[in-house]
Amino acid sequence: MKIDRRVLINFDWAIPLLILALCVVGLVNLYSACSNVGNGNTTALYLKQLYWIGLGLVAMLVCFSVDYRLVIRYAYILYGISVALLALLFIYGEITHGSQRWLVLGGFSFQPSELVKLTMILALTKYIDERNVGTAFSLPALLGPFLIVMLPALLILKQPDLGTALFLVLLFVSMILFAGIRMRAFVEMCVAGLALLPALWFIMKDYQRERLIMLLNPERDPLGAGYHIIQSIIAVGSGGLLGKGYLKGTQSQLKFLPEQQTDFVFSVFAEEWGFVGVVFVLMLFLVLILWSLNIGRRARDFSGVLLVFGATMIFFWGVFINIGMILGILPVVGIPLPFMSYGGSCLVVLMMAAGLLMNVSMRRFVLKS
Amino acid sequence: MSRKARKWLRFRVTLVAVLFFVLFVGLLSRAVHLQIISGSVLKDLAERQHTRNLVLYPERNMILDRNGQKLAATIKVDSIYADPSKISDTDETAFRLSNVLGIDRSKLAAALSKRGRFCWIARQVSPDKKKRVTELGLEGVYTVHEPKRFYPHRELACHVLGFTGIDSSGLEGLELYYDSHLKTQPQNVFWGRDAKGNSIYRAAVGTGPMEGIEGADLVLTIDGKIQYAAELELQEAVRNTEARSGTVVVMDIRTGEILAMANAPAYNLNAFKNSNAEVRRNRAVTDTFEPGSVFKPFVMAAALEEGAITEQDVIDCEEGSYAVKGRTIREANAKKYGLLGPGEVLKRSSNIGMVKIAERIEKESLHRYLSSFGFGSCTDVDLPGEVGGVLRSPGEWRPVDLAALSFGQGVSVTVLQIASAMSAIANNGVLMRPYMVKAMVDETGTAASEFQPTPVRRVISPVTARRLTAMLKDVVESDNGTGRRARISGVSAAGKTGTSQKFDWSLHQYSSENVVTSFAGFFPADDPKITVVVVLDEPRKNPWGGVSAAPVFSKISQHIVTRFNREIDLNRVAKRVIEPEFPIMPASAPAHRADAGVFDLTKQKSSDFPSPDFTGFSMREVLQAGKELGINIRVSGSGWAVSQKMQPPAGPGERPVCFVSFSSDFR
Repeated sequence: MKIDRRVLINFDWAIPLLILALCVVGLVNLYSACSNVGNGNTTALYLKQLYWIGLGLVAMLVCFSVDYRLVIRYAYILYGISVALLALLFIYGEITHGSQRWLVLGGFSFQPSELVKLTMILALTKYIDERNVGTAFSLPALLGPFLIVMLPALLILKQPDLGTALFLVLLFVSMILFAGIRMRAFVEMCVAGLALLPALWFIMKDYQRERLIMLLNPERDPLGAGYHIIQSIIAVGSGGLLGKGYLKGTQSQLKFLPEQQTDFVFSVFAEEWGFVGVVFVLMLFLVLILWSLNIGRRARDFSGVLLVFGATMIFFWGVFINIGMILGILPVVGIPLPFMSYGGSCLVVLMMAAGLLMNVSMRRFVLKS
Repeated sequence: MSRKARKWLRFRVTLVAVLFFVLFVGLLSRAVHLQIISGSVLKDLAERQHTRNLVLYPERNMILDRNGQKLAATIKVDSIYADPSKISDTDETAFRLSNVLGIDRSKLAAALSKRGRFCWIARQVSPDKKKRVTELGLEGVYTVHEPKRFYPHRELACHVLGFTGIDSSGLEGLELYYDSHLKTQPQNVFWGRDAKGNSIYRAAVGTGPMEGIEGADLVLTIDGKIQYAAELELQEAVRNTEARSGTVVVMDIRTGEILAMANAPAYNLNAFKNSNAEVRRNRAVTDTFEPGSVFKPFVMAAALEEGAITEQDVIDCEEGSYAVKGRTIREANAKKYGLLGPGEVLKRSSNIGMVKIAERIEKESLHRYLSSFGFGSCTDVDLPGEVGGVLRSPGEWRPVDLAALSFGQGVSVTVLQIASAMSAIANNGVLMRPYMVKAMVDETGTAASEFQPTPVRRVISPVTARRLTAMLKDVVESDNGTGRRARISGVSAAGKTGTSQKFDWSLHQYSSENVVTSFAGFFPADDPKITVVVVLDEPRKNPWGGVSAAPVFSKISQHIVTRFNREIDLNRVAKRVIEPEFPIMPASAPAHRADAGVFDLTKQKSSDFPSPDFTGFSMREVLQAGKELGINIRVSGSGWAVSQKMQPPAGPGERPVCFVSFSSDFR
């Protein structure tokens, strides 16, 4: 494969540097979140995460080396593979926390639902780019992209993993809104969505309903369903302006904080580094996201813009939902914090998304549109 | 892509960027709200969640007698508590607990259904009950070690020691008076706590080391052995005379140290709740009585010091009837005396003689001497609840009052006042402040502070003191003295008897039946060392001081003389004896059993070969002493040594042999 000289000249340093910065902060924080756990296999989590970062960097390299138009060309195949992996879960999946999310390949366990996030973006990009250049969607035209989303979303819901399923729907809605939708179709979609909400209520498991209610009134059951939210708020709030100091967070080190290596990893960070730390990390994410959007602004073709937008959405919604959750303004859904929560598949997929961003960024001049 | 479409796309991207920025600001403002605005509130919440503030009451300090033996110590006992939030079936739990503990079931159920995470079920339970509760394996029911005050000798010195409440604070006696010294300061200890409730030292979480625990044990002036002997003899006297109660005070004349202070009836300090408050009062300091004849030496002291009378004077005792301003003074037992010297007046305890002597002294002068002896004011002994008695000022005295005062009526005194005043006479006229605590020693046994003897004042001159002592010796040592039953074998004693009628407030006259009998004296008369005062309240049999109280003085003194091997030397430095466990003294053990342990047998030596007095020691101690002294011991019987027969060494190089017989029924 021939890589144009200008591609290397336009190498986008900001994205890998920002991501590495976030990964380092995440790793340091993960060390603290693991340090209180007595048994050996969890203490080594931050080491495992280090391997995943390495693997992610390789994936990133692959993703920006191949021309993104080539990637989009094979988007349906990639999408098909990842959905097949999702389906495979029901046969070979490993059950943890009562749901089948993990596929064990060799020594690594792997979450196809994370991969689907990215391949679905690719598929949507391809679909929207081919069918809808410059025109807004009407409702019947949405059927195609809707099916593209609903197939993996329903599979994921079956695992069950409501959070990730909703995350896919959120990505879809964001993409469609961005691509352009007719006002009538938009209204109809909203009505349909509202009509589906009660249905969603029935689909939801009891614990998920509980979580939704808890968001409104966590004190209702402080030791049960409200526990996560209350503990997170206490941990974050008690951090104050400057935090309690690294490895000195009482709530996290004394294990009051649940899921502190994964979904609630940022509570540990907020407790130990305080408001100052929170602002620092939020700024890193904001710069990353704005930088990514800026790549989209300058992309040569529509598919590039859509791809960048979709990839940025994965970052943004991950950050917003996770931090909103640990700050107690969004319900507890299992969405990890990009680059900081422990989780290999998530990290690798995010790195791949970043690779695609760089890909679009670097090839903005070499494209003949 | 057209230029227009591109522009439109760019605009949308910018719009999204602005939207994202706003959403991020939303997150940040929430972070501001949590971390800056409610930060301190949430910090408190976190603090409460992960720390527990425990108040630790370190062990209360010990009380030791002057020889270092434990009179009050702290042991660990089990208490049972519950965490009501962890108990699902309250009624079942209450039922099962009540079966084991014998506590009312509904009361338990009420306690268990309270909100909160802690309630006491039963405090300071027996090991057996604790075991049975543990075996029930009830959810939410736990046991904990609590310090409990333990008095190894139960009744010994109960009125002096007092006791503590369930939370280790002194409620009576020295436990109360020295509460702040005995109580080690409660320590506020912060514990870290993890989500599962495991305790972690605060140090592991971040702040502050634990403070050191300091404290001092009390070393009393009380001598456990003397105290024991005093209690034993007093109890027997109270029993034999059918008295309501009795009090003994033994005092070191030169220092004012209280060697023993006993009241009968006594009570078990380990079960003080089973006795009523009446019994628990330390009558030696809290109760006053009209002293009667035992007061006469102090009036005599004033007369001698003032030169109002000399030994050569002769007093007409009016053949048993003498009128003073409308009241006729009579002698006790309707005795009739003619002409008596002042010594005779004391020896025979003539009321009329004393009235006539008192009449020779100025009222103010007599009052000055009596208050100088300490009457009418507290001795300032380190015991709670002391009263000073009543000595009215001379302005209020009618002539009859002066007459009554001369033989101890119309004045109220405490037993301790009599003891310290009598000691003043014996101490060449210098009044010493009586005191109970000799020193405070820290954990290592070194004295943190020592209390020195405090001379209060000179009451009479040494010459007067000696003249009076001679008279008081006569009271005991002469064959017709009223105090002859107070004699001690081998040592001369001095003292004065007293029998006072109690004032019957319902009839407003002195009762003919209810009397207080007393004997106050000291020994050796020629070189006074120890004062012993015995007071019996309302003895039914032998209601005379010379008959009921004097023998008690004699017996107690005899014990002391034996204890100190006829060489009364109390100026030994109190040292804490460190011993693993002090044997609990059986209540039925003879008095001399108390001698065992500290008294050093090997110190007793004679010229030819050692011939120690083994009386009162246990077989093990006798054998041990024999080994150290190089005597072969032949034993018979069991219990404590009651008699011994020494056989000189059969030849040079041979060891002397001592046949010692033991009996469990000593005396």
